[in-house]
Amino acid sequence: MELRVIEKADTMLSIEVAGEDHTFMNVLKGALLETEGVTAATYDVNPEQSGGQTEPILTIKTEENVDALDALEDGAERVIAKSQNFREAFEAAA
Amino acid sequence: MTEEYEVEFVDLGEREATFLVRPITPAFANGIRRAMIADVPTFSIDTVRFIENSSVMFDEQLGLRLGLVPLSTPPGEFEEGEEVTLSLDVEGPETAYSGDLVASDPMVEPADDNIPIIDLKDGQRLELEADAVLDSGREHAKHQGGVAVSYRHLQTVEVVGERGEFAADDPHVLRGVIEEQEADAAADADAQNGDLVPTDAFDNDLTNRYPEKELDVHDIEDAFVFNVETDGSFDVETLVLEAVGSLETRADELKEAVQL
Amino acid sequence: MMVPVRCFTCGTVVGEHWEEFKARTREAEEPEDPEKVLDELGVERHCCRRMLVSHKDLVDIVAPYQ
Repeated sequence: MELRVIEKADTMLSIEVAGEDHTFMNVLKGALLETEGVTAATYDVNPEQSGGQTEPILTIKTEENVDALDALEDGAERVIAKSQNFREAFEAAA
Repeated sequence: MTEEYEVEFVDLGEREATFLVRPITPAFANGIRRAMIADVPTFSIDTVRFIENSSVMFDEQLGLRLGLVPLSTPPGEFEEGEEVTLSLDVEGPETAYSGDLVASDPMVEPADDNIPIIDLKDGQRLELEADAVLDSGREHAKHQGGVAVSYRHLQTVEVVGERGEFAADDPHVLRGVIEEQEADAAADADAQNGDLVPTDAFDNDLTNRYPEKELDVHDIEDAFVFNVETDGSFDVETLVLEAVGSLETRADELKEAVQL
Repeated sequence: MMVPVRCFTCGTVVGEHWEEFKARTREAEEPEDPEKVLDELGVERHCCRRMLVSHKDLVDIVAPYQ
C-alpha cells in the first residue's frame, strides 16, 4: 500500500492511498468516524474514465490535541479489530 | 473497544449460506460483500494452447468456455499470479466435459464435472493444454469466487391492530428474513419471540403468518442478513473468511505504512 | 450453439445442469414440467432459469457445413 501525503497540518491530513477502491476506503472511513478524536473523515475517488486523479484521497480532521496521522493509525487498528472480531464470531457460529 | 459481533446461521450449505450478523455497520458489511466478489482470488483458465481443434467452434470460443469453468482453489496454498497447467484430450463422437480436464496439480481441478465444453462429432478431436492462473474478480469476472453475494437488513413485523373488517385482503409480500417478535399472533404454533424466520417459510406472504392483523414492517438497525453463494471454487466459509482476511491484510499494510 | 457455462446475469454455473434438464424436459418419453425440473436442480433465480429454458443445441445443425 503506497501512501502519499497531499496536505498535512496538526489536526488535518489529506493523503492518497494508492491501489485501493471503495471496498477498503469506505470501511476505513466508517471506522475513522467511530474513532475517538476524529471530527471528520471522508474520501474521494474518481472513476478511471474521468482521467486525472483516480486514486482515492482520504481526508481526516481531528480534535485539537489529536494528531491526524495517529488518528489514521487508530482507524486502521479499528478495522483490524473489527475483522478479527468478525472472524471469531463467524468461526464460532459455522 | 470495538463491538463484538454475533453471527447466526439461518442456512448453511457448502455453496450457499444465509447468515445474520449484528451489530455491524453498513460500511463494514458492504466492505465484506465487495471483498467477497472482487478480492478473493480463484483459479481460472487464462491461456489455452490448442494442439488440435477440429470441432465446430473456434479456438477463441472454446477458450471462453474453458475460462468460465470453476476450478477448486484451496486457500493459502498458492500466491496470486501462480499458474497450474491442465490438459484435455477428447475424440469424437463424444462430448468433451469439464470433468475431462486433467490437472497437473490435484488441488486444482474442475469444481463441476458435467459442464459440456463442446459436442464432438465423428472424426472431430479436441486436444489442448491450458494454464489456469490465480487472480481476483477485480481482474476478470471469471475469477469471482462469490456469485450473487448480497445482504439486506433483518426485518421485524409489528402487529399494530386487527385488520379492518372490510379492508382489501391483498397479499403482503415480503422477502428476506424476519425476526419474530409477535409470536402470539403468528399462525405457527411453535413460534417463539426472537426466532429468525426466512420469509419463504410462509410463502413470502405475511398474511399467511399473521392472519387478520394490521402489520407494520421495519428494518432492524445494524443487523444484516447476508446471502452468499460461491461458484464452487471453495465453500462459503472459506469465501467469507478470506474476504474478511483481505480487509484485515489491507488495514495491516496501512498501519505499517503510517508508522514509517 | 453449446449451452452457456454460466448465467450471463449472475454468474452461477448453469451448464452443469443442462444435460439433465434436456433429458427430462425435452427428450423423455413423458416430458416433465420445466418449472419442476428447474426447482429440483436448484436453479432458483429467473436469470439462471431462462438460460436453460431458452437454449437450443445447434452443434448437430451446423456440423454438416464444416
